[in-house]
Amino acid sequence: MELSTYQLPAQLSTYAAEVDWLYYVIFWISVAFFVGIVGVMGYFVVRYRSKPGVRAKKTGHSNTLEVAWTVLPLILLIVLFHWGFQSYVRGSVAPSSSLDIRVRGAQWLWEFRHPNGMEELNEVTLPVGTPIRFIMSSGDVLHSFFVPDFRVKQDVVPGRYSTLWFEATKTGKVQAYCTEYCGAPEGATGNVGHSAMLATLNIVDEETYEKFLEKGPAAPEGLSEAEWGKELVEKSGCRTCHGVDGASQMPAPNFKGLYMREEKMTSGKTIVADENYIRESILQPQAKIVSGYENLLMPPYKFGEAQLDAIIAYIKELSQE
Amino acid sequence: MSTHAESIGLADGTAADGAVHEENYLSAKGIASWLTTVDHKRIGIMYLIAVLLSFFAGGVFALLIRTELLFPGQTIMTADQYNQAFTLHGAIMVFLFIIPSIPAALGNFFLPIMIGAKDVAFPRLNLASLYIWCIGAVFSLVAIISGSVDTGWTFYTPYSSRASGAVLWMAMGIFILGFSSILTGVNFVTTVHKMRAKGLHWSRLPLFVWGMYATAVIQVLATPVLAITLLLLLVEKTTGLGIFDPALGGDPVLFQHFFWFYSHPAVYIMILPGMAIVSEIIAAFSRRKPFGYTYIALSSVAIALLGFLVWGHHMFTAGMSEYAVMVFSGLTMLVAIPSGVKVFNWIATLYKGSITLTTPMLYALSFIALFSIGGLTGIFLGTLSVDIFLHDTYFVVAHFHYVMVGGTVIAFIGGLHYWWSKMTGKVYSERYAKVAWALIFVGFNVTFLSQFVLGSRGMARRYFDYLDHFHTLHGFSSIGSYILGLGFVVLFFVLLHSLVKGEKAGPNPWNLAGYEWLTTSPPDAHNFATEFVAERGPYDYHLLDENIDEAAAKA
Repeated sequence: MELSTYQLPAQLSTYAAEVDWLYYVIFWISVAFFVGIVGVMGYFVVRYRSKPGVRAKKTGHSNTLEVAWTVLPLILLIVLFHWGFQSYVRGSVAPSSSLDIRVRGAQWLWEFRHPNGMEELNEVTLPVGTPIRFIMSSGDVLHSFFVPDFRVKQDVVPGRYSTLWFEATKTGKVQAYCTEYCGAPEGATGNVGHSAMLATLNIVDEETYEKFLEKGPAAPEGLSEAEWGKELVEKSGCRTCHGVDGASQMPAPNFKGLYMREEKMTSGKTIVADENYIRESILQPQAKIVSGYENLLMPPYKFGEAQLDAIIAYIKELSQE
Repeated sequence: MSTHAESIGLADGTAADGAVHEENYLSAKGIASWLTTVDHKRIGIMYLIAVLLSFFAGGVFALLIRTELLFPGQTIMTADQYNQAFTLHGAIMVFLFIIPSIPAALGNFFLPIMIGAKDVAFPRLNLASLYIWCIGAVFSLVAIISGSVDTGWTFYTPYSSRASGAVLWMAMGIFILGFSSILTGVNFVTTVHKMRAKGLHWSRLPLFVWGMYATAVIQVLATPVLAITLLLLLVEKTTGLGIFDPALGGDPVLFQHFFWFYSHPAVYIMILPGMAIVSEIIAAFSRRKPFGYTYIALSSVAIALLGFLVWGHHMFTAGMSEYAVMVFSGLTMLVAIPSGVKVFNWIATLYKGSITLTTPMLYALSFIALFSIGGLTGIFLGTLSVDIFLHDTYFVVAHFHYVMVGGTVIAFIGGLHYWWSKMTGKVYSERYAKVAWALIFVGFNVTFLSQFVLGSRGMARRYFDYLDHFHTLHGFSSIGSYILGLGFVVLFFVLLHSLVKGEKAGPNPWNLAGYEWLTTSPPDAHNFATEFVAERGPYDYHLLDENIDEAAAKA
């Protein structure tokens, strides 16, 4: 919580300081008005406390006063409106050099996709000192992406894209929240649903980010390599076409028993589905096609090294069962 | 001069006709005499009991919420139950309690008396409004008992269009409650226009009546939009026609526009009556005509009209166009002006007054302080870039509680004390009423000041759980809510004691100039025993004081 004050969280984006400046301008204006109002009120209550023999003075009127306390606050409010709008525009329009990250909110998770197609769940690795634009959509109900340390927030609406941009000024972990109420599973205990729909922004330096894009993220804590591979297969949509039970008729080759299986290719050659073949089929699916699957056009998938290893480990495991 | 003044009840505060009436509006006995009554005072009393029961129910949910948040993690309920608790707290407090609270209870009772009328313009509609309220409440009760309304009081789509059937009951209940609100509004507008006593021209109208009038205009114009919105929601849920749900081809942001087109003006349905009561109490216990009477009266009308143009400020992060956002921010700033005008005029009313710190006055002064905080924090939220940061955090929760509770509820309780002896004919204990006031004032501030800081530090709304660094402030807030709750318990016993054992109240215990103090306590069934003619303004304390001086000189 470095740099945070008792009122505001740490300033970790280029935008935070100007929001805070305006916040404190309004804060001190409010303090001045409040002290003025309550001070004068308190003074009058004490000073004009009812005394025997002293009557209230008959009420007069003063148009000067009425105009003064209408017009002076109005001028103040117009200035505040102007500053707020200017600052809002800077916060809404992302620089054209922004790095676009695709964000999808769903009950109750956040999915992030990097420009090279790599995906992360509830955690996203981002470079420091680079303007980043989130292009966000929702898979179900309303959500909202809120990063207090960056002073940014934007609703995530089903059926349309909304955007949010920021430039982080420090490396480290930054907490993001869902701030549009989105329910909770019935009957479940513990922190579930809306209040558990959190994400961590892992802000790293440029070099680490480049490396991350090449090698991909590491397995989530507590998952074995094969378990992570299974999660990736399910989340990435592989199961739409590939079966994993070795039995069902699916449009694409079944994963069960695939590892080290001999397959006849459309080119007429026979190959063994080893690690290299599986890797190639994920990254360039059209390079070598198993005979009988010519009409199926699988798109190329982008995964980091560790993710590819995990998927291969999962397919191996399926073949050992 | 003196005989004339006596004839209009100025001299010693006794009823205008001087006679002691044993008969009053409470004299007829039996349940049937209440259920079939068309007397606005009896309907007001029944509404009062109804809204106080709702307030109790909403308050229980509030304490459940605060107890769950006392510690991080699961404390007394699951996340799903918590979501239901805050939904019911919000829906009950807004639709069953706060909207009808002042207009339907105190307004019904005092508006006709304060304009010297025998009743409202449509007494039967008035009773119908109460019964419609009851039907709406029954629907809501069904939804509560079936136990799965978890959409938040705002019913945002598409979450609400996919939620369970209980949401239908709740929406239907609110749809019905809306009609009771419209009927009250129609009644008040007509009554103020058509039923004013002889001599009571608009520039003499008590400020309470001005406030009620402005409120009634909003009730009549805005509430139908809520009905349309909820009806569209019901149509979508039952027929699958795509209106708000994008899965069916609808637009979820359209629902937010519809909803706030009603619910923002509804905020003024809630606060204007509070301001109306405060205007009365400040004048009464400063013994002066309100400073800037015309400005206070017209600022109510200005707030009512401006209130229709600012609904978009609830949606700055919803994905509206930047230009729409700009316009709504600008218009929102304007609402601060008439609210400020009221506050400044109330303070100027105190100047060179003769101030007594009775319990109602304590509530009125608390209102000014708390409403100022509510209003000033509204400027943070009207300023665009700051709102983007604070939107949907506890800062917003604290802000609207300062306006709705620190404003409306405080004014409502102040009004309840102010008119208690008139309504019941009984005196309450000033000493214990002040104890209750102190507990409520302190408890309220401990509860909600800490929520401003929670919000500005990034604590999101409607969260079942929170990160550890928010624990201390949540703890403060929960403890504050218990103090606040205790204050209301003490208040309940003060009023109960007054009903059972309270001394009989005179017609005008504080020697006030308002017209309602000219009749007996409790008032005659026809409000005034003889036809009421307004021969002076309701704040002519200088005339009243002169007469008291003259009487003293003679003696």
